[in-house]
Amino acid sequence: MATAGPTSELSLKEAARRAGVSPATLQRWAKGGAIPHYDGTWTPVVATYARMVARLRSKGHALADIKLAGQSGQLAFGYIEDLFAVTREPLTLADGAKQTGLEPALIERMIQALGLGAAAQEALTKDDLDLLRYSAAVLDAGFPLVAFLQLVRVYSQALAQIADAEVRLFHLYVHEPLMRDGISGIEIAEQMEGLARKLLPLAAPVMNELHRRHLRQFVEQDVIGHMEADLEQVPLELGSLRVAIAFVDLAGYTRLTDELGDEAAVDVVERFVSAVQVTLPEDARVIKTIGDGVMVVGSDCAALTDWAIGFQVLMPDRPQPRIGMHYGATLYRDGDYFGREVNRAARVATRAAGGEVLVTRTVVEAAGANLEFEMIGKVRLKGFKDPTELFLAHLAEEERL
Amino acid sequence: MMDRVWTMMSEDPEMGPKLRDADVPQRFEFDDLDLVVNVRAGREDEDANLVWVWGDDVDWEPRVKMTMSSETANKYFQGKENVAMAIARRRIKAGGDVAASLSLIPITKGIFAPFRAMLADEYPHLLV
Repeated sequence: MATAGPTSELSLKEAARRAGVSPATLQRWAKGGAIPHYDGTWTPVVATYARMVARLRSKGHALADIKLAGQSGQLAFGYIEDLFAVTREPLTLADGAKQTGLEPALIERMIQALGLGAAAQEALTKDDLDLLRYSAAVLDAGFPLVAFLQLVRVYSQALAQIADAEVRLFHLYVHEPLMRDGISGIEIAEQMEGLARKLLPLAAPVMNELHRRHLRQFVEQDVIGHMEADLEQVPLELGSLRVAIAFVDLAGYTRLTDELGDEAAVDVVERFVSAVQVTLPEDARVIKTIGDGVMVVGSDCAALTDWAIGFQVLMPDRPQPRIGMHYGATLYRDGDYFGREVNRAARVATRAAGGEVLVTRTVVEAAGANLEFEMIGKVRLKGFKDPTELFLAHLAEEERL
Repeated sequence: MMDRVWTMMSEDPEMGPKLRDADVPQRFEFDDLDLVVNVRAGREDEDANLVWVWGDDVDWEPRVKMTMSSETANKYFQGKENVAMAIARRRIKAGGDVAASLSLIPITKGIFAPFRAMLADEYPHLLV
């Protein structure tokens, strides 16, 4: 099925099919002026708007409100959506299996991992098929299925977050200002579509280059990590990694939010997360941000402990970071780290006060001789039956300027 | 050679204006060479983005003070020294408004490539 250009004419029946409503309903909406840009001719762009009207109607919005929203430019994203027009081929999973050489059950698992949505289970697009062919090639090359499914889930989640940020930031900093300036709906749609057409082709090369750089960095770290692990550690089960985990958050952040307001407090968190990212050792990275805190994982425990101490020196002002660290075996799944030892690190952090670095015995044993550790006692951490020894890590006082 | 580093940072179209805007006067002491340099942002009536004076005879107060060896400085400007870790490993002693130095770290990352290029051309034995 060929994809129609944005201005080519569609039949009422085709426009109604694309909008997901009956031709009679579409005509009624058009007569009522609820479909932006409808001038008596059905085009793919107008059909896209009609689909948005249908979505709004299904959420209970009145036609009069939708009409107003269209006139004020609030629905202008509909035009951009047309840049990503999807053509569904009448291809079933069985067709996909035949064309890619993959088992239908495996295709189903891949569709789930790739986040292609329920529609792909019923009818595959040409793009879906291409994705499945790439996947088949990766598996043919010998990459294990268990690892591949995790990898595509990570791709899917990371790219979904990127797309979400692109749309939200476009909305906040392009769409909203245009609406506030009182520009007409049509002009907003045209300006946004023009900008999106210029920006979209730039995203892929930027992401490719960043991916290449990160890949190089992590390959180097992996080589070093392997060498060090071979020298010192008992092998872990397949899929497990022994890593240093640090949970870092801002002490007294809730009170700060009350004092400064949400926006100023968010600025504080942004500066804090950025400070973490620019100072971390090469082998460590922020795995996730959790409100006003971050989870950091690194393969070199001594380096991460040194970083924690140095970071506290660099962040002396309120709200001060509090850091809890642990070193142990974790399960690596879908780009994240799980397991009891991760929970232990998180619990250690809750025991730290602002400006402190609290660590467990495994960290003390792996850390360099440049630091001092003061045992503060055996503590029963929430969710752990046995007590955990906690130590306060610090730099000798006389070393400060 | 350090004069060349400050010149590169001051004249770089990206780094220079950003360091000027950040306006964080710094005092660096290279203890193995017994050298001190004070660096500040150019004032309104000055063209240069950065102004530096060797020694402590300056008419401004540094906000950040850092003491390190010339070897650590060489590594830092090549992007091979992590400031937080260097503090913990006693390779850098930091004092004053150290939080202000955090804002300079991402800006000064721009010096790594040109500094390494300069070393490769003129002082290859200093590359790390």
